[in-house]
Amino acid sequence: MYTLLIVQLAVSGALMGMVYALIAYGFQLTFATSKSINFGQGELVMLSAFFSLTLIDSGLPYWLVVPGGMLFGAVLGLFVERAAVRLSLEQKGEGWILLTIILGLLGFSAAENIWGRDDRPFPTPISSDPLHFFGIDVTPLELSVAIGVLAVMGLVELFKRKTLLGKAFEAVSADRDAAQLMGISATRTIQLSYGLSGLVAALAGILVAPITTVGPTMASVLILKAFSVAVVAGLDSGFGIVLVGLFLGALESLTSFYLGSGWREAPGLVLLILALAVRPNGVFGKASIRKV
Amino acid sequence: MWKRLLLIRGAELAALALLAAIPLMVDNSYVLGLLTLLAIYGILLIGLDVTVGYLGQVNLAQAAFLGLGAYAAGLCVANFDFGMLAALAAALVVGLIFGTLLAFPALRLEGPQFALATLSFSALSATTLNEWEGLTLGAQGLQVSRPPFLGMALDAPEFFWLCLLLLALVWMAMRNLLSSQWGRAFEALRDSPIATDAMGVGTYRHKVAGFALASGLGGLAGGLYAFNFQYLQPQSFGWDLMVILLLGVVLGGRKSLWGALVGASLIALLPNLLSNRGLFQIFSAIGLLIALAAGGQGLLKKTTRPFQALAPVAAMGILMVGSLIVGNTEDWRKAIFALMLFSVVVGLPEGLMGFAARFLTRLFHIEPPRLPAPASLDTVLPKRTANGGALLELRGLERYFGGVKAVDGVSMTVQAGEIHGLIGPNGSGKSTAVNVISGLYVPTGGDMLLRGKLLPVGSLFKVARTGVARTFQNLQLFGELSALDNVMVALKDVYRSPLPLVLLGLARAEEKRARAAALALLELVGLGDQARSLAKDLTYGDQRFLEIARALARKPELLILDEPAAGLAHPDVNKLMDIIKRIHERGISIILIEHHMDVISELCGVVTVLDGGKIIAAGTAEQVKRDPKVIEAYLGVVDDPAGAAAPAQAG
Amino acid sequence: MLTVENLHAGYGTSEVLVGVSLEVKAGTVVALIGANGAGKTTTMRAISGMIRPNRGRVLLDGRPVQDQDAAHIARLGLAHSPEGRKVFGPLTVEDNLLLGAYGRLPRFFGFRARAAADLKNIYALFPRLEERRLQTAGTLSGGEQQMLAIGRALMSKPKVMLLDEPSMGLAPIIVQEVFHTIRRLKETGITLLLVEQFAKSALEVADYAYVMDRGHIAIEGTPAHLREDERVLAAYLG
Repeated sequence: MYTLLIVQLAVSGALMGMVYALIAYGFQLTFATSKSINFGQGELVMLSAFFSLTLIDSGLPYWLVVPGGMLFGAVLGLFVERAAVRLSLEQKGEGWILLTIILGLLGFSAAENIWGRDDRPFPTPISSDPLHFFGIDVTPLELSVAIGVLAVMGLVELFKRKTLLGKAFEAVSADRDAAQLMGISATRTIQLSYGLSGLVAALAGILVAPITTVGPTMASVLILKAFSVAVVAGLDSGFGIVLVGLFLGALESLTSFYLGSGWREAPGLVLLILALAVRPNGVFGKASIRKV
Repeated sequence: MWKRLLLIRGAELAALALLAAIPLMVDNSYVLGLLTLLAIYGILLIGLDVTVGYLGQVNLAQAAFLGLGAYAAGLCVANFDFGMLAALAAALVVGLIFGTLLAFPALRLEGPQFALATLSFSALSATTLNEWEGLTLGAQGLQVSRPPFLGMALDAPEFFWLCLLLLALVWMAMRNLLSSQWGRAFEALRDSPIATDAMGVGTYRHKVAGFALASGLGGLAGGLYAFNFQYLQPQSFGWDLMVILLLGVVLGGRKSLWGALVGASLIALLPNLLSNRGLFQIFSAIGLLIALAAGGQGLLKKTTRPFQALAPVAAMGILMVGSLIVGNTEDWRKAIFALMLFSVVVGLPEGLMGFAARFLTRLFHIEPPRLPAPASLDTVLPKRTANGGALLELRGLERYFGGVKAVDGVSMTVQAGEIHGLIGPNGSGKSTAVNVISGLYVPTGGDMLLRGKLLPVGSLFKVARTGVARTFQNLQLFGELSALDNVMVALKDVYRSPLPLVLLGLARAEEKRARAAALALLELVGLGDQARSLAKDLTYGDQRFLEIARALARKPELLILDEPAAGLAHPDVNKLMDIIKRIHERGISIILIEHHMDVISELCGVVTVLDGGKIIAAGTAEQVKRDPKVIEAYLGVVDDPAGAAAPAQAG
Repeated sequence: MLTVENLHAGYGTSEVLVGVSLEVKAGTVVALIGANGAGKTTTMRAISGMIRPNRGRVLLDGRPVQDQDAAHIARLGLAHSPEGRKVFGPLTVEDNLLLGAYGRLPRFFGFRARAAADLKNIYALFPRLEERRLQTAGTLSGGEQQMLAIGRALMSKPKVMLLDEPSMGLAPIIVQEVFHTIRRLKETGITLLLVEQFAKSALEVADYAYVMDRGHIAIEGTPAHLREDERVLAAYLG
C-alpha cells in the first residue's frame, strides 16, 4: 500500500513536471537562435492565462480559447524581443537579462491592477474525476497536460525538421553569419523564436491554470522550476528537458510528502546549483569550444 | 595634483560630514530612519556594484545575502547573546561563506546561467528562512533586540552614526581595493576572460573572490538591517527588494562608489515619492524631460539608435500619463520601478553618476594623477643569458575539430634564444598550434615539453605561469582599461601585499613600482605617451603594440607572437620589427607567426613551414623560400588539365 | 554584373580597405589575389554585406546594394561562400544544400520537390556529397566541407558568386580537386569572383585578375600579363 502511495505521488508529480519541461522548451527555442532567454517568461505564462480566462468569461468555447491564448502569448513574445532583446543583442551585451526582468515586472504590475491580486479558478471542460491504472489514480486533466505538452513540442520539432523555415531556424543557431549569407535574416529568425517561445509558454499557462488557479503569482514558482529544468538538462539539450522535467516533478512531489509542502521548491533549486557545479553545460548539453 | 586630491577627498568628506550632521540639526525620527536606511543600502549597493559593475555579471542574490546576514545577526543575538560588533562580524562571515559556496559552481558559467544560479539561490534561501521554523520562526517573523555596542546601549542617532562609520570604512576599503591589482583584475576579466587567464591572472579565482566580497558586504548590511528594524520576515528579502537594489545600482551608475551612494539615496527615498501623488507627478515630468532631452540630443548627434532614444521617451510618457490618471500610485509600484529601470537601462546605461562624472571632470578641470618616472628596463625585463639548448619541444602534436585535422602530427623544437618563424598558408594550422601550446585548446594527441618538463595542457592560466606569454591574432585587450592598466594587470612578481594591507591602503609603494615598471614596457613599444588612453581608443597598430607590452609584463622565457603584423600599415610593420629585435636582445625566445615574408626573412634564424596541419619544410628563411614545396604551398600548383585525380607534382 | 567603386571598409576604428575598385563582367571568372592581410577577405565581406562599407558603392547588376544587409543582398542574387567554409555543422549535407536555395524555395512545404532537379545537378558535380547526403556536415573532412560550401552557394543560382579561399587548410591534392571543380563551373558560364592566396592556381582559371596590397588594388590585368609581372611574386615572397 505504501509503495503504491509513493508511485502515485511520483506519477502526479511527473505529470506536473511536463509543464516545467514545456516552459523550459520555450527557453531552448530562443537560446538556440540568440543565446538569450526571457527572464520574464513566468509573467508571460501568467498574463496569457489571465487573458484566456477573460476569453472564457466572455463566453468563447474552450477549443477557441486555447489558440486565442496561445496567439496572445506569441504576441507578447514578439514584444519582448523588440523591446528588451534586440537592442542589446545588436550591442553584443547582456542588457537583455535586466530588460526582460523589467518587462516581467511591468507585466506583473499590470496583471495585479487589471485582473486583481486574488487567485481565480480556471474552468475547463476536462474532467478531474480520476481514472485508475494498476491502482494509480490519474485525472484526465493531468493527462491533458501531458498530451498537450508532448503534442506542441512534437509539432514545433516537426516544424524545425520538416519545413525549410524550420531548417533556417537551425541554421541560424549553428552559424548566424553563414545563415545571413544564404539570405536568411537572423533578426527575423530570432523574432520567430521569441514568438514560438511565447506561444508554448502561453499553452503551458492554459494547461496548468485549472490545477494551480490563476493569479498574479501563479507562475513565480513554476518559472523557477522551468529555469532549473532548462539549466539542469542544458539549454541546448533537445528532448533531454522532458526527462529532467519528469524527474524533477516526481522528486519534488516526494520531497513535499516527506519534508512538508513548504520544501516543495527546494529540490529544483538544489539540482540547479549542483548541475552547474558538476556539468555546467547541462546533463544533456554540449560543451562549447572557446574561440579567440 | 593637490587640486585633484582636494576636490575628490573633499567631496567625500563633505558628504560624510553633512550626513553625520543632519541628526544634530533635525530632530525627526522619520528622517533619521531614512538616513540609517541610506547608509545600510549604501553598503549593500557598493557590494552589489562589485558583481554587477566591475565583474559585469547580473547578480540576483544580493537581497538574499542581506536576508541571510540579517538572520545570522539576529539569531546570534537571540541565541548566543552576541554583542553588536560580534553579531555584525558573524553577519559578514555568513555572507562571505555563502557567497563563496555559491560562487564556486555559479561562476563557472557566464551570462544567463549565472543569473539563473543566483536567482535559484535567492529562492532557496527564501524557502529555507520560511520553512526552518524551529530556527527562524518562519513567516511569523523574528523579533531582534539591538544588542549593546562595546557595552553601551545605542540610541537611534548613535546607531545611525555607527552605520555611517561602517559605510565610510567600507567606502575607503573598497576604494583601495578597486584601485589596486584586484580592481584591475576584476575589470580585465570582464573585458576578456581569455586574455586574463593568458596573463597569469586567474579569472576564476578573482571572480569567486569578488563575488564573495560582494556577498560579505551584503551580509554586513543585513546585520545592520536587523538591528535597525528589529523585526525580520523572510519575504522582506525577496524578489521585490532585489529589483529595487538593481534599480539603485543601475540608476546611480555602475563601477562607481558615488553611484552606489546616489542609488542608495534614491531607493531610500522612493517609497516617499510614490506615496505623494503631486510629488510623483513632478518627478515623472522631470523624467520625461530628461528622456526627451537625452534622446533628442542622441538622435541629432546620431550617436544613438532611434530605439534607444525613443523607447525611454515612450516609457517616461507612460509614467507621466499614468501619474495623472492613476488614483493610488502605491498599487502601481512595480510598474513604476519597471518603467524607470527600463528607461535608464536603455537610454542612460552609464547611470546618473557616470553622466555627472564626465560633466564634473570637465567643469573642474580635474587632472589625472601624475605618473612616476619609468623604471629601468633592466629591472623590469632582466637580460636573460641564452644558454642554448631546447626550450620548447613538440612531439607529434595533434588537434582535430570534428573531421578537420587542424594540427596533424607536428614535431618541432624551439631553441633558447632564437626567433623561430612559423609560417604557412591560411588555415595551415599555425594559430591552432599556438592555441594548443598556450593552453586554450587541449591537444588531441602528442606531447609538449618546456625545458624538458611537460607543459600543462588545456589551461591558459597554468601555461602562463610556466613562463610562456602570448599575444592574440584577434586582439584580446582589456578595452575599458587604460594602456597602463593593461600592462599592470599582467605584471609578474610585483603584487605581494596581502589583502588586508591592500584594503587598508598600505600597498601604495608596490602600486607605484608597478606603475613605473609598466611605463618602462610601454616605452619599449613606443606607447609611453599613450599610457592613459583607454585601450579601445588606441589606433589599431598601437593596440597590437600594447598586446606585446602586456605579454612582456609576464617576464616571459618564451614569447609567442600570433600574427603581430596582421593589418598593420607599412611604417608600423617597421616599428614592429624594431620592437621584436629589442625584445630578442633581452634574451627572450620568440615564436613568430607571420605572413609577411620580408618580416620573417629579416628576423628569424629558423623557420618552420606548416601546410594542412603538417610540417612541410624547416630551415633558414632563405632555404625555405627556395623550397619547391613551400613555393607550391604559397602560390599553388599549375593544375594538371588531365584531371584532379592525378597526383600532385611538386614544383 | 558586379561593380565595386572606391570601397572603404574596416572593423571598428581601423580602416582595412582604402578605396578598392573592381569589376566582374557577366560570365567571367575574376581572381582577387594578394598576400595575407592585404584585405581580400574584407573586400568580400564588404561586398556581401557582412560588414557595412564606410564609403564607396557596390553595384549588383547595376543596382546599388552597399546599404543593404547580408540576407537581403543574398536574395538579390549574390552568393558568398565564406572563408573557412562555414557549413552548418549540425545539419545534414542535404539540408545545407537546401538552405543554399532558401531565397527561392517555398518556406513550408514542397521545397524538396522544387529543389530536386538542382540537388541532382549538385550531386552530379560532387558525387561524394550524394554519398554523404544524410550525414551531418560537421563530420565531413575539410575537402568535403569545401565542396559542400561551393554546392550550397550554387544552389541559389546566383547572378554572381563570391568564393573566398577555397583552398584554405586543404592538402595539395584536394586543392587541385577544388580548382578542377572551379574550371568545370567556368565551363557552365558562371560569374565568379575568386579570392585565393594561391596566385598561380587562381591565375590558371581566371579571365582577369586583381592583385591587392594593403587595402587597395595594386596591380590588375589578364593572367598572362600578371604571370610575367615580377611584382606579383614579390608581393608574396618578399
